[in-house]
Amino acid sequence: MSMGTPAVVMDNGTGLTKLGFAGNDSPSFVFPTAICTSKRRSTNVASKRGLEDLDFYIGDEAIDAAQGSQYSLNYPIKHGQIEDWDQMERFWESSIFKYLRCEPEDHYFLLTEPPLNPPENRESTAEIMFESFNCAGLYIAVQAVLALAASWTSPKVQDRSLSGTVIDSGDGVTHVIPVAEGYVIGAAIKNIPLAGRDITLFIQQLLRDRGESDTSLQSAEKIKQQFCYVCPDIVQEFSRFDQYPQEKFAQYIVEYTDRNKTNTVDVGYERFLAPEIFFNPEICSSDFLTPLPIVVDQVIQASPIDVRKKLYKNIVLSGGSTMFKDFGKRLQRDLKNIVNERVGASEKLSGTKSTGVEVQVISHKKQRNAVWFGGSLLAQTSEFKSYCYTKKDYDEYGPSIVRNFSLFSVP
Amino acid sequence: MSQSLKPYLTAVRSSLTAAICLQDFSSQLVERHNRPEIEVSNTHNPELILNPMIISRNENESILIETSINSIRISIKIKQADEIEQILVHKFTRFLTSRAENFFILRRVPIKGYDISFLITNFHTEQMLKDKLVDFIIEFMEDVDKEISEMKLFLNARARVIAESFLIPFD
Amino acid sequence: MLQIEQNNLLIESTLTERIFSNTFKSLDRIVSDFDFTTYHLSSIENKTKILISINLKCWNDLAQYGVTQILSEKYQPFSSVLSTTDAEQGYNYSFILDLESAFDQDQDFKLSLINELSLLKRNSMAAPFCAAFSRYDELFKKYANVNTYSEEVQMELQNEKVIIIKYRGLNESIYLKPSFDRVTIIFSTMFQDETDKIFGKVFLQEFVDARKRSVQTAPQVLYNTEAPLDIANDVKKGEHFVTFVLFPRHLTIGDKRENCISHIQLFRSYFHYHIKCSKAYMHSRMRFRVKEFLKILNRAKPENLDDDGKVIETRKTASGRTFVK
Repeated sequence: MSMGTPAVVMDNGTGLTKLGFAGNDSPSFVFPTAICTSKRRSTNVASKRGLEDLDFYIGDEAIDAAQGSQYSLNYPIKHGQIEDWDQMERFWESSIFKYLRCEPEDHYFLLTEPPLNPPENRESTAEIMFESFNCAGLYIAVQAVLALAASWTSPKVQDRSLSGTVIDSGDGVTHVIPVAEGYVIGAAIKNIPLAGRDITLFIQQLLRDRGESDTSLQSAEKIKQQFCYVCPDIVQEFSRFDQYPQEKFAQYIVEYTDRNKTNTVDVGYERFLAPEIFFNPEICSSDFLTPLPIVVDQVIQASPIDVRKKLYKNIVLSGGSTMFKDFGKRLQRDLKNIVNERVGASEKLSGTKSTGVEVQVISHKKQRNAVWFGGSLLAQTSEFKSYCYTKKDYDEYGPSIVRNFSLFSVP
Repeated sequence: MSQSLKPYLTAVRSSLTAAICLQDFSSQLVERHNRPEIEVSNTHNPELILNPMIISRNENESILIETSINSIRISIKIKQADEIEQILVHKFTRFLTSRAENFFILRRVPIKGYDISFLITNFHTEQMLKDKLVDFIIEFMEDVDKEISEMKLFLNARARVIAESFLIPFD
Repeated sequence: MLQIEQNNLLIESTLTERIFSNTFKSLDRIVSDFDFTTYHLSSIENKTKILISINLKCWNDLAQYGVTQILSEKYQPFSSVLSTTDAEQGYNYSFILDLESAFDQDQDFKLSLINELSLLKRNSMAAPFCAAFSRYDELFKKYANVNTYSEEVQMELQNEKVIIIKYRGLNESIYLKPSFDRVTIIFSTMFQDETDKIFGKVFLQEFVDARKRSVQTAPQVLYNTEAPLDIANDVKKGEHFVTFVLFPRHLTIGDKRENCISHIQLFRSYFHYHIKCSKAYMHSRMRFRVKEFLKILNRAKPENLDDDGKVIETRKTASGRTFVK
């Protein structure tokens, strides 16, 4: 039945949902994972007979509709995991029929899940996908593994392996996840409570401190996206700003819906200070003080010794907050210093020469939607369907079948 | 509540209250094992198993109570008047059994011929109040019927609205 | 969402972005639609043009009823920016959209161009319906002053050719049979899932009854599990047959007829969509019920548990004092 139709790839994140078809190089839709439901619903479910359950919007439409008083806005995914299954089911319903316009019976689906997702959540997902939507086939992949697959597009990657360290930084939280041969090393995962939103707030704070004319969150967001970069050294960068103010300082022209209103905001040190919070967290946060390179090092050191070399060699970036210019370079340099120091110390102690550890951070063009892109890449291969469970398998074995998925063998 | 439902539930309640009389009992065959005797398939010692009991409201609705020294198995046949109710009951019981770990006393697989089974062991009665457990079974029986008929009503109502809203735009 | 949208949202948003941005960006995108429809949008010739291709499962059937002609008529007003071309490899029909000249057009032109392109599937599928409806016009004229109850006329009508569109393969097809006072449209459909089958029956029964009950002006709907006589000779396979009988009032030339074509095409998608929605709603009901049952069961626990199974911290003595831990 589903021959020839492209597989549907859905990446539902805490903040944004990416929807699209396998084989495309970018998601067809990217919108907030938000749903707004009608408020008129009575609390007693039994009394509902009408069409209230069809009265809802998702994504950007949801945010618009929630401006009025008739709807209440909800985010069904919290910390990467689905919290409200009723709302998530309807979110998928609308994603499939309204946005992607496909009959789920005719398509295979690839969904993503965060690392350490409880198997019960997988089962609930399968229950919805197979029982409500009768989807032809389903594969649930771990986001970090897909991010690794996405890095194969980079020319730096010579062997297409599913081993590496994934740094996934979205809006809410940054994860550092070691993956060996397609399996996530759960015990070694570390989270950093600093991500895109903190950077934006930090920029906003700097703008306020300087007394700029426009200090809205939107402007801070725009400045982050357009002007920020990672510098090799803060002290030198400060002096460079003082030496060449013409080149370094910039101006951001605020856009208003009202064309007549104009405003400009000066952009200064925040250009390099904002992303710097990953490398010197103390400039913005008081409770989390470990710089990113050290966290990455700790994560790899906590992994089994036989995979560490591979983890150092293949550090992959994913998510919008890793998009700053030279982010990868700086991380690679800092991490190399840490590793070389340790190698040096051990050489001194043992008196033998080490073969050295190669540290390589890979950044590539698809970084922003890396997880989705990795999914698209894997789901368009001809073997993809053989890895999926079909509706028939589900009917025969029940929901527990999705507790295990075979891994993609690397082409 | 219809005429025959009340006596039916009363009979179930008093039978269950009498039947849930369990004690800790070690296996006579395997040392240091303790298993619900009612679930042991080859009943090696018939003195541990009491006579099972069936209470029927009609041919479609009945309850089977099987007791043993340390465990009791309760299987319920839920009313299914037509194929819609059949499929709804099937969906609902499967939904429940797939969440069996939350329900402590729910059996993952019903006894043949019944729609849903519960297994109460002496460990359950030690941790939970017996009267309240009986209450749960009774309320469950009442609510399932109600839920099934409500779902059926919903389905019909929804189908009507959907049909009409498809046909109206033609004109 | 009650009704399924006619147009393809993704094509609309992609083209809107391209046409209104006044810049050339590369594009290569596969877009899908109901009933195994695939589109491919790609930029060619230095990104100044967009190649729009469509693949339909039933293209060969449509081709018999002049789909190319219908499409070229439909997109005639946009010929200044839209030219037809040989179909792209693996696709049935292709357009080339010239962005450079599209940028110079006014707002309304752009909007209606985007709208019509997002209706590409609808317009292609319209071909056999148009053919059937114009055949109806012919028959209507022919038999206007004839005793239609005579046996010969009945025989002639009986032998009227049936138009078959295998839009989802052999098992699910649309059959169209024009007559002088009606057009009969029969959908054969099937259900992959046992639940769907039962739910589907309930829904179809309501479709049949709707006309009797409230929507008197609606087309007549019949539901059979065996092939209706009209198409018995042409049917190869199928389990469920839904017949829509469109009367002259539905076939009034103009907007009404166009609307009728767009609406009836989506019957299957609409029908299956709502079966799925009701299943989703049932799920949320059952989740609610499970929560309720758990509350009742948790009452059996002797510790002071609240309804969610959490321990209530403060125990009180008879006089209202609380224990100190």
